[in-house]
Amino acid sequence: MLKLGNVEFKSRLILGTGKFSDTATMIAAIEASGTELVTVALRRFNRDKPSDDLCAPLAKLKGVKLMPNTSGAMNAKEAVRAAQLGRELSGSPFVKVEIHPNPHHLMPDAIETYLAAKELAADGFIVLPYIPADPVLAKKLEDVGCAAVMPLGAAIGSGSGLSTAEMIKLIIRDSNIPVIVDAGLRAPSEAARAIEMGCDAVLVNSAIAAAKDPVAMAKAFALGVKTGYAARQAGLMPKSDIAVATSPLTSFLK
Amino acid sequence: MFLTVNGNKIEHLGDGTVSALLAELGATPEHTALTVNGDLVFSKHWKIFKLNDGDTIEVLTFVGGG
Repeated sequence: MLKLGNVEFKSRLILGTGKFSDTATMIAAIEASGTELVTVALRRFNRDKPSDDLCAPLAKLKGVKLMPNTSGAMNAKEAVRAAQLGRELSGSPFVKVEIHPNPHHLMPDAIETYLAAKELAADGFIVLPYIPADPVLAKKLEDVGCAAVMPLGAAIGSGSGLSTAEMIKLIIRDSNIPVIVDAGLRAPSEAARAIEMGCDAVLVNSAIAAAKDPVAMAKAFALGVKTGYAARQAGLMPKSDIAVATSPLTSFLK
Repeated sequence: MFLTVNGNKIEHLGDGTVSALLAELGATPEHTALTVNGDLVFSKHWKIFKLNDGDTIEVLTFVGGG
């Protein structure tokens, strides 16, 4: 069971709701994935495009909690305000703190993220910060009361996979809170690998929304996450630098 | 009174409450959060919160995001 703050989740897959071609496909993908937690973003109300408003379709989903993000915030102060607005609108205590001031690489600002996460955790939010795969930062975020840390696998939307795997292993080794890979994944096999190596969950958006068939890909990611967790529970065999024969090497027919 | 709403200057003709402004904009109150001059105004206060000429208001809603 994945536990974030005081809330338990059966699913280890968290979905982002961006980039879907239309709302119906997004809702179908959420349902197919079996997720119980989805991220949403805050933007200016646009009277000319009321269809952008996700409140109504998301409210119809059963058993799915909302996690507003702070995307668009350039610093801790803006992120805290976005989080407060998100909580007011969703009624949800979850917040994904993301502060990435450079649109070219979208790398998280570690300092501003830390400051915002600390303030929001003290204010009673269940804080999940999106962070660089930095084990020192991860531990400091745990110390200030974050419910989980979400190191990036690769740049947002890049589909470059688990390029930070070795650093994420260091985070997992020392962490007493859930570790969730957020960003960069492209294939369900990468989600399986993340869970196999000890991650507690993965957050996926582009890999599903930009797939040829987003609903089928949502199902595939659900299976990938389940497979990874089943494999971890089963216990992977030890690695060896040399061959270890599976068939007897002695008493061969002469 | 004149207000700046989501970066656009508009003339508000209602009674000057947040609720009246949202009705004028066609925004669904349950799908909306907002700030006045940078400060969050909770929805429970919208019927009585009075706007002033020159206020800057950000009206926000949820959209898709990762």
